[in-house]
Amino acid sequence: MERIDIITKITPIFRKVLNNESLQLTEELTANDVEHWDSLSHMLIINEIETTLSIKFKLKELNKMSNIGDMITIIISKMTE
Amino acid sequence: MISTSFNFLIFFPLLTIIYWVTPHKWKLLLLLATSYFFYININPSFLFILLSVTCCTWIFTNLMAKAPESGKRKYLVSNIILILLPLFFFKYYSDINNGILHLLESHHVRWPLPSIKLLLPVGISFYTFMAIGYTIDVYNEDAEVEKNPAILALFLSFFPLILSGPIERAKNMLPQFRAHKTLQALHLTQGLKLMLWGYFMKLVVADRVGIYVDSVFNNIHQHNGTTLLLASIFYPFQVYADLGGYSLIAIGTAKILGFNVMQNFKRPFFARSMSDLWHRWHISLISWLTDYIYLPLSFTLRKYKLRGIVVALMITFLISGIWHGAKLTFIFWGLIQGTYLSIEAITNHKRDLFEKNHNLHQKVWFIAFEVCITFILFSISQVFARVTYVSDAITVLAKIITNTGKLYIESPSVIIFCLFGIVMLLLKDFTDEYFPNRFLLFENRNVVIRFLSYSAVVILILLIGVFDGSQFIYFQF
Repeated sequence: MERIDIITKITPIFRKVLNNESLQLTEELTANDVEHWDSLSHMLIINEIETTLSIKFKLKELNKMSNIGDMITIIISKMTE
Repeated sequence: MISTSFNFLIFFPLLTIIYWVTPHKWKLLLLLATSYFFYININPSFLFILLSVTCCTWIFTNLMAKAPESGKRKYLVSNIILILLPLFFFKYYSDINNGILHLLESHHVRWPLPSIKLLLPVGISFYTFMAIGYTIDVYNEDAEVEKNPAILALFLSFFPLILSGPIERAKNMLPQFRAHKTLQALHLTQGLKLMLWGYFMKLVVADRVGIYVDSVFNNIHQHNGTTLLLASIFYPFQVYADLGGYSLIAIGTAKILGFNVMQNFKRPFFARSMSDLWHRWHISLISWLTDYIYLPLSFTLRKYKLRGIVVALMITFLISGIWHGAKLTFIFWGLIQGTYLSIEAITNHKRDLFEKNHNLHQKVWFIAFEVCITFILFSISQVFARVTYVSDAITVLAKIITNTGKLYIESPSVIIFCLFGIVMLLLKDFTDEYFPNRFLLFENRNVVIRFLSYSAVVILILLIGVFDGSQFIYFQF
């Protein structure tokens, strides 16, 4: 799966959890840039991504997600495992 | 020697001069020797625990770095258990012993364990938390392992931070300890400004407000609801000015020596919700709890979605409460905070939608309303942190509602100084919050205004400050 495909797949999850229908995900986007993206909503997002893409993150990997680009890199590594 | 003592006013300028004329290769050792001297000065026997925590952490993190992936976990767990032992022993032995004694006596059994009079080693919570954070960071590959024991020892004993934080992170401090330092005038002036405002907060606000708060809360049964209400409103300001003032002195001290230390408070009484408040209050502790307790817990419970988050929040704040003390009052305090945040998490979307639909988010009256409600909720929880027994907190809250009367004023000057200090504190925070580049005093481009501001604050400290050598509230934790 290409990076752009992953963005397309996870965008509805972010929009639903963060209650923001116009949210556009970019590789550089961080939690600081988006209203309501805090430690509470982050875990809901992680859970939804895991369910949708049938993957399981490790806690260590969570700490390495400083922006959407990092998250996509980790998702790709999980999907090719 | 604490930072508000006369000795510190001689010690620190001398150290600053010696530090900046010392060649780079000796600076680290000078700071380490100074930090250990500073700590020994409080109580020499406490040094043994600090050294043990440092040695354990250095040995186990270095073993962890060399171990294969599958073998790292045993070093992580071993180090955390070992360094937590002294904290638990010194902090909770007496409380647990007394609790068991009372429980047995209530069942007519008398079997006393040896009673040991323990003095809690100052700063033990703070350097233990920093050591745990560093160990977990190395395990998670968030921080590089420190091979030089002197640098790790300095990180855990750095004298501006050891007594009450801010609880710093290895990722921020270790590279700074390794780096070559050059004297910059900007660091000196910024550090001095932070220290000056920190002294104002501690000596003029916290210790003045403390006189009234202590006189009321030490005799709650003799005071009416009106007096208890005022003391309950004052108490959060006392804690903010005390720990916030201490933190600014610590951050300023570190700045003068060329180190950037994290912010510990960010205008907490202008928070618009409890979750907002916890992003502004005792930030170093809360971010520590978030990273090392809340996140692993909520990650483990993520499949339970919002329910998992609520459980993680409740447990995190329960631990925070127990960290403050093994007393029912602190357990209640933690549960109240957890409940507030859980309710906010559950109602988050609905509140947001309501605010957007009614276009409330930018309305001044609505912002003021949210700020007031947040302060009231926080003040109620702080009553539990201030009293000795839960029944006392309930008495205070019940009296506030039912037993109004004449306000207790021992001397008008006490109230006037309290109000003056609080208004000054709020004015500064208000301008920083809503008009960040206007009404500048310490940062004004006009040199006359800058020096008049410094002078005014120094004069106010000398005139109104309390110089009775009182301790900082958070030294007891």
